[in-house]
Amino acid sequence: MDLQGQNGLDNTFRESWRNRGVVAWVVAGTLISFYTLLYFGGDLGLNDVPALNFDVWAQAIGLPSRWHLYGLLYTVGVVGGGVYYLRKHGNSRYNKYRIAVNVAVQVLLAFTLPLVMALFGQGSYYFSYLWPLAWYDFHPGHLASIPAAVAVWTLGGALVLAPLMAYRYGKRWYCSWVCGCGGLANTFGDPWRHLTATSTKSWKFEKVAVHTVMFIAIGSTFALFLDAFAGDRLPAFHRIVDGGQWWSVKRLYGYVVGSILAGVIGTGLYPLLGPRVWCRNFCPMAALLGLQQKLGRFQITVKPDMCISCGNCTTYCEMGIDVRSYAQSNESFTRSACVGCGMCAHVCPRGVLRLENLTRKRNQGDKARQGLPVVNL
Amino acid sequence: MRVVIIGNGVAGMEAALEVRRREPLWDITIISEESDHFFSRTALMWVFSGQLSHQCIEPLERDVYERLSLQRIRARAVGVDVEAKRVLMAGGREPVPFDQLLVACGSKPRPGPWPGSELAGIGNFVTHQDLAWYEAEVHGGPSRGGPPPNADAHLPFSTPDSPYRKRDVAAEARGRRARDVAVIGGGLIGIEAVEVAHAAGLHPRFFIREEWFWPMAIDRAESTWISERMRAHGVQVHLEENVERFEGERSVERIVTDQGSYQADAVVVAIGVVPNTDFLRGEGDMPLTLDRFGGVVVDERLETSVPGIFAAGDCASVRWFNGAVRPEQLWYTARDQGRVAARGLLGDTAQRYARGHWYNSAKLMDIEYTTAGLVNFHVEGERNWFFEEKGPVRSTSRIVLSGDRVVGFNFLGRRWDHAVLIRFIEEHRTLSYVLDHLNEARFDTEFVPPLHIPMEARLRGLSEGPAPSALPQPVAPPAV
Repeated sequence: MDLQGQNGLDNTFRESWRNRGVVAWVVAGTLISFYTLLYFGGDLGLNDVPALNFDVWAQAIGLPSRWHLYGLLYTVGVVGGGVYYLRKHGNSRYNKYRIAVNVAVQVLLAFTLPLVMALFGQGSYYFSYLWPLAWYDFHPGHLASIPAAVAVWTLGGALVLAPLMAYRYGKRWYCSWVCGCGGLANTFGDPWRHLTATSTKSWKFEKVAVHTVMFIAIGSTFALFLDAFAGDRLPAFHRIVDGGQWWSVKRLYGYVVGSILAGVIGTGLYPLLGPRVWCRNFCPMAALLGLQQKLGRFQITVKPDMCISCGNCTTYCEMGIDVRSYAQSNESFTRSACVGCGMCAHVCPRGVLRLENLTRKRNQGDKARQGLPVVNL
Repeated sequence: MRVVIIGNGVAGMEAALEVRRREPLWDITIISEESDHFFSRTALMWVFSGQLSHQCIEPLERDVYERLSLQRIRARAVGVDVEAKRVLMAGGREPVPFDQLLVACGSKPRPGPWPGSELAGIGNFVTHQDLAWYEAEVHGGPSRGGPPPNADAHLPFSTPDSPYRKRDVAAEARGRRARDVAVIGGGLIGIEAVEVAHAAGLHPRFFIREEWFWPMAIDRAESTWISERMRAHGVQVHLEENVERFEGERSVERIVTDQGSYQADAVVVAIGVVPNTDFLRGEGDMPLTLDRFGGVVVDERLETSVPGIFAAGDCASVRWFNGAVRPEQLWYTARDQGRVAARGLLGDTAQRYARGHWYNSAKLMDIEYTTAGLVNFHVEGERNWFFEEKGPVRSTSRIVLSGDRVVGFNFLGRRWDHAVLIRFIEEHRTLSYVLDHLNEARFDTEFVPPLHIPMEARLRGLSEGPAPSALPQPVAPPAV
């Protein structure tokens, strides 16, 4: 096996379940029903039916709550999908290391650790999720209630580590290596990655949607802080932000962003719209890291005049980036959406693309390239 | 001003975009028999396997023609009336008048010379229609990505000799998909046809006339590895075997060579391509001059023997990097020529087509291939330095020297930046300088260990004389 580049050819478009066939619709329907029950079973009054109450299911197999059952299923998805992915693309070292880290983070940090802590009667902490993805992390009440060391990680991870890493290595360090959403997308969701829309229209929607959610996530966090310090003096404000009604900012954000956009739509539509619907269009963390990436050193370098415009890169970009448009115009680029999964470089039959963290040395290489004759125009 | 472009491929489309960029109001008409949309011909193999759909291999969004008001005619051009300035069309279509014309009609497959070539089940792998035929033989039809839009729209306006005609599918007559696929011709299209048949679960036979696969581009040692890989995948590689005829009732059943007779349900003939310029010979006194290769003769501005008519891409005979003048069937040169021809159409008299250094890359059965400069050219005082890496990465590196100067590179198994390699050549570097700095040209993906060349390999790798090559008069590979 070669350590880079795709081995063998895929038969993606010859498989019905990967192309919105009956099985795909059934899987999507199942996922959407599952998430609806998981998040809204109580609100919909369905928890009284034991068969539809995941807490009952969880207890039946000895897990403390529905969230641990969800964690178990999620972990099975990541591990199973990881095996599928590695069998297909694991010849490449980048893919192998990346998916191994994804699976390890899911199994250890996102599932085992919280479960063990819950079994010992401790609070559960999910160290691999950072604000603003873990929007709840920055609630003043939550911050005040957690141990100091955890609070340091929560604040330092989100405000110092994440931006620094994104600057140095691009947002991929998080979105494609660590994050659970990205982990599920790149394992369980991988068979559907070609379904991500690449049209100009989808890009226009993405730009507006993802940055809107980002501003809402940041703004609402500020609002919660303001409420914590001045809520007594501003009763109307307090009512809007954290009054306990379903339409209060605190609960509405959880419903709309956390449950509907990330869960029901984000994961439920994997088999129909590709695995990064949430990450691309709605995740506030991806948007924030994307801006940091844009200023940082990560780029996809394009070899000049080698692209044959075959379209493998664009088709297999799960974020809907038209990579080919850059490759065929000899433009190295950094797109804020890019999660650095490396698939464009992996499937490129001519080795035109390379993910790079630019260093001084590499820049010298680029300078050397500038002396090259550009053929004709 | 009315500009007509014959051909919707990379040269024609690139020219159309360039003309439109400068002249928003000119009438631009693109005549294409093959397809409604510009697509990447080099990507047909992935459509076959199902890795890509037809829409995936279209580099521009489908609304580009409307958006840039480029008119399209989906029909076969059968001649050019230079006096009356109009393109003659098949199927009783009105001739298309022009003020300026660009001929960018590309290549067509070189037909096989063997008896029985007219049998159903024998085809090529160059056009959309070839793809549809081959898919029908092996897969029973297109993938869930579907056929290209309006796949048959050109049929009423075509001719029986068109490379875009519809093929008879032997699988339909037989009532069974092809199991025994044979591919003739040891070049890039050949190995692609083999690779997709293998991906479809078959064990194709690969008939190669030469001593080893692709001798124009790679030497014996390099090729051995590729043949090994093909055989490991279950491909039956027949080297130095000459096809003599095909046998069968109405569909092909057997392929007979100088060494045996083999069952065959479908045969892909991939022995190269020739300029698709027969239609320019058609009408009596030919206005445009063609050369012995069938290429349209052009000057350095890519203008033909008739002022106001230009030619670009596979159909034009251009000056190669080594000075030879003949058609060059390559993606990136066609694109450059399209742009240069567009300047000519726009009235720019200064723009010249100047070919830079030779370079290319490909993938041969999962093995990455990069080349730059003069390889297999038997240059004056040639010596070859060769190193085979068999660690975690398997690779071969060949560096060609003329005297003390490095003039060419041939790499398998790793990714390299040809731009840096060409810089080494232009800077007239020595072998030891290049070996010291080789990793500057590295383009491997992350975590792939860099190429390490032990000191003794540096010293021992150099052999006197040229690498063994089958061709006395080498030419650069007719690559996609």
